[in-house]
Amino acid sequence: MRVATDIGGTFTDLVYVDQQGKIGVAKSHTTPPNFEQGVLDVISVSGIGTEQLETFIHGTTVIINALTERKGVKTGLITTKGFRDVLEIARGNRPDLFNIQYEKPAPFVPRYLRQEVEERLNYKGEVIQPLHKERIEEIVSYFKNEKVEAIAVSYLHSYSNPVHEMETVKLIQEIWPEVAVTASYEVTREWREYERTSTTVLNSYVKPIASSYVDRLENKLKEIGNKSNKYIMQSNGGTTTFEQSKQTPINMVESGPVAGIYGSAILGKILGEENIIAFDIGGTTAKCSLIDKGEVKVTTEYNIERTDRTAGYPIKVPVVDIVEIGNGGGSIAWIDDGGSLRVGPQSAGALPGPIAYGKGGTEPTTTDANLVVGRLSPGNFDSNVDMERVKGAIHEKIASHFETSVDEAALGIIRIANSNMLNALKLISVRKGYDPRDFALVAFGGGGSMHAPALAKELGVSKVIVPVAASVFSAWGMLMTDLRHDYIQTYIRRVEAINYSEFNDILTRQEKEAFAQYETEGVKEENVLFSRYVDLRYVGQEHTVKVPVPNGEMNHESMQRVIQEFHQTHERLYTFKLEESPTEIVNLHLIALGSVKKPELARIESNGLSVEDALKEVRPVLYEENGWINTKVYDRAKLNPEAKIAGPAIVEEPTASTVVYPGQTVTVDVYGNLIIEMGV
Amino acid sequence: MVKTVASKVDPFTLDIVKDSLVAIGEEMFYALARTSMSPIIYEVLDYASGLTDPKGQLLTQGNGVTGFIGMLSFMVRETLQRYNKTGDLKPGDIFLINDPYGGGGSHLCDVGLVMPIFYKGELVAFSANKAHWTEVGGKDAGSMSTDSTEIYQEGLQFPCVKIYDEGKLNQAVVDIIGANVRFPDLSLGDLWAQVAALKTGERRVQELCEKYSRDIVVNSIHHLLDHGEQLALKSLKELPQGIYEAVDFIDDDGIQDGPFRVQVKVEITENEFICDFRGSHPQVTGSINTSLTGLVSAVRTVYLAITNPSQDVNDGSFRPLKVLTDEGSIFNAVRPAPVSMYWESMLFGTDLVWKALAPVVPHRLSAGHFLSVCVAILSGQHQDTNERFLIVEPSVGGWGGAKGSDGASAQFCILDGETFNIPVEVCETRNGVLVDEYSLYTDGAGAGEFRGGHGVVRSYQALTNNQVFTASFGRHKYNVWGAEGGKDGSTNYFEIVKASGEVDGPFGKYNQYPLNKHDVARLVTATGGGYGDPINRPVEKVVDDVKNEYITAEQAERDYGVILDPDTFEIKNYTPERQAKEAR
Repeated sequence: MRVATDIGGTFTDLVYVDQQGKIGVAKSHTTPPNFEQGVLDVISVSGIGTEQLETFIHGTTVIINALTERKGVKTGLITTKGFRDVLEIARGNRPDLFNIQYEKPAPFVPRYLRQEVEERLNYKGEVIQPLHKERIEEIVSYFKNEKVEAIAVSYLHSYSNPVHEMETVKLIQEIWPEVAVTASYEVTREWREYERTSTTVLNSYVKPIASSYVDRLENKLKEIGNKSNKYIMQSNGGTTTFEQSKQTPINMVESGPVAGIYGSAILGKILGEENIIAFDIGGTTAKCSLIDKGEVKVTTEYNIERTDRTAGYPIKVPVVDIVEIGNGGGSIAWIDDGGSLRVGPQSAGALPGPIAYGKGGTEPTTTDANLVVGRLSPGNFDSNVDMERVKGAIHEKIASHFETSVDEAALGIIRIANSNMLNALKLISVRKGYDPRDFALVAFGGGGSMHAPALAKELGVSKVIVPVAASVFSAWGMLMTDLRHDYIQTYIRRVEAINYSEFNDILTRQEKEAFAQYETEGVKEENVLFSRYVDLRYVGQEHTVKVPVPNGEMNHESMQRVIQEFHQTHERLYTFKLEESPTEIVNLHLIALGSVKKPELARIESNGLSVEDALKEVRPVLYEENGWINTKVYDRAKLNPEAKIAGPAIVEEPTASTVVYPGQTVTVDVYGNLIIEMGV
Repeated sequence: MVKTVASKVDPFTLDIVKDSLVAIGEEMFYALARTSMSPIIYEVLDYASGLTDPKGQLLTQGNGVTGFIGMLSFMVRETLQRYNKTGDLKPGDIFLINDPYGGGGSHLCDVGLVMPIFYKGELVAFSANKAHWTEVGGKDAGSMSTDSTEIYQEGLQFPCVKIYDEGKLNQAVVDIIGANVRFPDLSLGDLWAQVAALKTGERRVQELCEKYSRDIVVNSIHHLLDHGEQLALKSLKELPQGIYEAVDFIDDDGIQDGPFRVQVKVEITENEFICDFRGSHPQVTGSINTSLTGLVSAVRTVYLAITNPSQDVNDGSFRPLKVLTDEGSIFNAVRPAPVSMYWESMLFGTDLVWKALAPVVPHRLSAGHFLSVCVAILSGQHQDTNERFLIVEPSVGGWGGAKGSDGASAQFCILDGETFNIPVEVCETRNGVLVDEYSLYTDGAGAGEFRGGHGVVRSYQALTNNQVFTASFGRHKYNVWGAEGGKDGSTNYFEIVKASGEVDGPFGKYNQYPLNKHDVARLVTATGGGYGDPINRPVEKVVDDVKNEYITAEQAERDYGVILDPDTFEIKNYTPERQAKEAR
């Protein structure tokens, strides 16, 4: 049996799939700060026997929490002489352009813990000043005195040659074996010293936290007799072993959210849909990501705490490319100083939550608006909903300002929220040169299926898929993952001047590194799958475009085909290409998957009921173009495979509601997914 | 909260279209950064792009730097004036403009493009952008000089000419550019990137008209502008009405010794914000003059900082703003005054208003900052490839303390913005230099209850012979100002440390200084001004500052009245002043 557990803000989810391909789910409360307890709880609730467990996959927010709550350890930094302030100077940018009182993000390491050592490499990786080893000893003893618990080492041009960083780490480990150390080359081999140093420091900062969490979890699992292979979800959409996760915990920074994106890709494959837009609406945010021909996009341009008002902190590790906006079920509707209606990014959160929750919420939210227009049913909430209060608040805060009815104001809230989400969906599709008609939208999370059909209509995608485990879809995605490691090496060469023997040597070295890594993780060579990419640009440009490279040895001819592909991708992304201009390689990127046996999905059996047997009620629902329509509401649990319903219709399940518009049709497929066709 | 402007379409549709217009501006902006050829565009984001209405009123502008705010509308208005006959503007036309006196704005390096957008044969909007090309020709590499005396020395002038006529490229203009600039691949690469971004704007506006109808889009445009005005008027009402004045001095102009006196009188009324710069110094011989459009952008920047730093910007926001100046002054220069280092005066347009209002708008303003783009230009040959390289980059420096927070360290000046410094690793790969040091400059200036942020030291060591170095570091002779009892910050400068050990400088401006192998250009930027009496700074913060080597133990005693052990940081005593304060 394969089991995935995913720790979220409120709930810890569990999804398992047994030998027959049958899926089971369970939920229990998240238990901060001892998150491992929640994992044990949910295993216990699920009723699965621990001895049946073969594979255990885990997604966690421990790392991102430690970073955003500043709960990491006291960290010291060692840099090249002349560059101790690299973290504090950062890039000098001010996203909040007109704010004279802009406060720059404070470095994670204060200045007195940033120490310099004489050493220097040039851009080619040649040593032009040897490492001053005695200085390392002084720094280590100073750090000991200051009760530092972790050390980061980041030298200039180490992406090109890590020799001095390696020597430094070795020295530190000899003098002080207990301290956690990270050298920059261990987390990223890309140029740009500020971004690399920031990544290294953040890894060190959370390393002891990660170790202790993973060890506690492992011990607890051992105590209940679990002998499974244990993996942790990484931000690149693949998993790694518990052991490796303790070395580079920064790779777990988006551990949970990316699994839903990855799951969408897998579901697409099962259903024969290669082009997918994954769309996840939670309580406070909506996230989306585009999957092109089955391929989940990964970038190293990730940041934490960056907004359009503040610079945040870069983390240069591979993270699934997700666009996230502050619009979810709990997002608050408000009128700005100029008299315009806005929704989010402020959220009522889980507490007090929307007014409908009756826990003290006073500000109207998207969820409240969905209730007023009949898309959500008061009967589908845990507690009684006071509709008069909900309507009263929308009247007072929104409708009276615009002199409209409460219904129109509620629909206005939904339209503004949809407009925000549509902009995010366009950003990843139309604006990147993709035609939405070639894509299916996979909608999950609490609010995904409620908004997706309207957005699909506007965006023009071919269909909407609401997966069977939509509310625990991230955990479902984890079940389907392979192990994954990314190897990215900065290698700046004009394409016409590439020395192919050097080029192939680097590719081979990356592959060897991957094999060696997988050997320690018990994955056989024949189960390791490679895909390779180069980051290319026109000479003079800064930003790059990722283009696939065929496996096997590269030469001038095969590179010409890669360049052709680059011109085309550049044109799709930016509307023009410069075929006469010379091109340049910046990075070589190897993705190494350690493939594991995954379950086949079981088909659901018919329960013999007709569609009309699944009818719960008929209630009025307000639509943008059609006004109020008496709409049939169905119970998803009672719908059979092949059931087909013409819109307008609503399909309800305990945590979510799917709104099918007039003209759209929904069918249930053999796995229990809802498939909404757009119609004409 | 104000009532929404009455309109016939439902208010939510107007808001959705308005938001879509803003999203179009953002899309145009990012497309340009990702395809441009010049570091000054893709790292420094020294460009702006946006949409205007058919009259040239700014609707939305994606900004990398604040200094371009509003310049797009001047370009569009110049285009409308020059091509004012029916049929002059046609679908597919694109205009090229960089004339500083005629709507172009800043200096010749900033090249603007304007494209009329038609829907069903009717003009509905303009798409426009403006970007700093690394090269537009002229007497010195980088097209900026501290010793030019006429604009003719500063590069090619594009007086609003058609680069595309109904979609057809004007190859003659392209050939002239190619023959007159030092790095044609870069400059023309940027041109194509700018054209692509404009066309994206055109397509998106047409799609919007297609979806919602032209009438709704036009209504939304009015709604957007009125919304901007409402926001501005509301925050204007929160400001103290009255007249506020400030005076300052510009160092020199690179040729003639200064100082040049400049001044402002700011008048805030219930619905107007008037900045009167009349009486400031006449235009000067050297290249530090600014044109009227430059000054207006400078004033708009600080006006936004005071009225609505957190809002989207359009021409409606600027309706309450008036700028008065004398023609032929340093703030409103006329042809053929040189302008390539225009920011050295333009920044005073921002800073004078800032300084005048700092005492009365403490929640938005701070003590003074290092007040110069501090641009460094270095060219020569790469030691390995023998190719010619050119560095053109602004510097980061110290910002002023404000009520409630210390000044930020190592940030670009107010007229830059979402500007990024060039990573040392990238710099050393591309250019024939080694960066010996890039660290905070801790000179102890700017003491205050909230102290000034730090400037930096950045040192370029030449790795080949015959390199040339040009720089303009204003605020070189007069210290950055402190506020409300805070001490003044320091000054910007650079010096040349020759391979022999001999030091030349410090300088504030220098044109074409020759550097040979292992000579070092050492650039230093100022500490920001302090805010509030330093004696009121909490003791723990003073101790932390010493421990972190932001200040020395001597400074802790002299400025802050805290006497501590320089090794253990233990507090030994307070000065009498501090004792008196602590006793209170």
